[in-house]
Amino acid sequence: MTYLTFGRTQCRVLWRRKQDTVNALLFFVMVVALFPLGINPSAAFLAPAAGGIIWCAAVLAILMAIDGIFKEDFRDGTLEQWVVCGLSLPVLMLIKVAIHWFAVVFPLLLVMPLVSEMLMLPSGSFWVLVATVLAGTPCLFLLGAIGAALTVSLKQGATLVILVILPFYLPVIIFATSAIEASQVGLPYIGFVAMLLAVSLLSLVVSPFMTAVAVKASVN
Amino acid sequence: MSWAWFHRLGSPKSFFFWSKRWARPAFLSGLIILIVGLVWGLAFAPPDYQQGDSFRIIYIHVPAAMLAQTCYFALGVAGIVSLVWQMKIAPMFIRAVAPIGAVMAFISLVTGAIWGKTAWGTWWVWDARLTSVLVLFFLYMGIIALQNALEETALADKATAVISVVGLINLPIIKYSVVWWNTLHQGATFTLTEKPAMPVEMWLPLLIAVIGFYCMVMGLALWRMQTIILLREHRTQWVKQEVTDHGV
Repeated sequence: MTYLTFGRTQCRVLWRRKQDTVNALLFFVMVVALFPLGINPSAAFLAPAAGGIIWCAAVLAILMAIDGIFKEDFRDGTLEQWVVCGLSLPVLMLIKVAIHWFAVVFPLLLVMPLVSEMLMLPSGSFWVLVATVLAGTPCLFLLGAIGAALTVSLKQGATLVILVILPFYLPVIIFATSAIEASQVGLPYIGFVAMLLAVSLLSLVVSPFMTAVAVKASVN
Repeated sequence: MSWAWFHRLGSPKSFFFWSKRWARPAFLSGLIILIVGLVWGLAFAPPDYQQGDSFRIIYIHVPAAMLAQTCYFALGVAGIVSLVWQMKIAPMFIRAVAPIGAVMAFISLVTGAIWGKTAWGTWWVWDARLTSVLVLFFLYMGIIALQNALEETALADKATAVISVVGLINLPIIKYSVVWWNTLHQGATFTLTEKPAMPVEMWLPLLIAVIGFYCMVMGLALWRMQTIILLREHRTQWVKQEVTDHGV
């Protein structure tokens, strides 16, 4: 196995289990639909709240998607093979998370125009929303992978991952929604996007190693 | 400087006997100091010219909030020690201190809410410091949930160590993101660099209460660690000897 074949296998597995990704997307759209139904469908409420609603829904959907990323590998013993295969485990984890990130965030971006229209997000803020998603979601995936790796040996790990990881997502939500809000009232928003990037970069430094530690602990 | 004492404390056996000597004095002296601080603060300190007597809740609120943060910091440090040096005692420390920290965060939330009702007229505001203590409480509960869910001790230890370390790195980010997001709470009561703005009759009992809280929690933590050590090392000869000699 090389890093390249590892990546290719991951892509192929993801493609064959596309229902998981579709589920996460459906979940995302459904959570978004809850807010106009549950609170208020008027533009006066939705337009200022749109960024926050989209981000909260995206965070929940990503948590749902990330929870299972090691499940199948753990069950069939693939995880053990990665530990002993001689390649650097943190690099493998990084590749895997990157592929999953792309597989979820790319379709998420495709439905973004749809949901932002549904929530009456002012059109000027749409590209800011896209920028925050691109800059912020890597952090969500990188941190979520740690939680997923820690709880992989449990049968019912999903709630636990949400409990443990969600508090770490708060800064991302805050910076992302602040950026969208700022763009709506005409304030500079680049700073918030930069903060998102910084948080993502920091988790890029920490997460692969921590995920590797967690995977090793779960396998033994 | 010799590090022998440090390595000795890293072994469960010598830590057990060391903590057995210190747990009770730490707890009792903490209790006495705390009672002195609280009685002084609650009964004798002058009332605030604006808030009257309601400000007195800080004699519980501030120490609890400080300890909630200190305990999390300690968890993070223990997590690093556990991951890097694989010291046996570090995960036991995490297991012992996490619930204490959670209780401290909870106390500071509740007392803060009670104080907020009289000072701001509402039980809860989405202010930066309140929110960050709430997040801290969530982090503690996550660690405790993880500990309880993972039955295999080695895995549970690794898992809590990893989460504590990630939390230690993340805590400043969470803190500052929330601070930039919203700020209503007054600034820190004590800082190391500046003289407190309160008169001495007010902050001296607070300082005493803080010290009392710290000592008490230290004693509690040592006690909890003793129990964990006995549980985990119950196969060893010295634990059998200890239990037959002194009971549990």
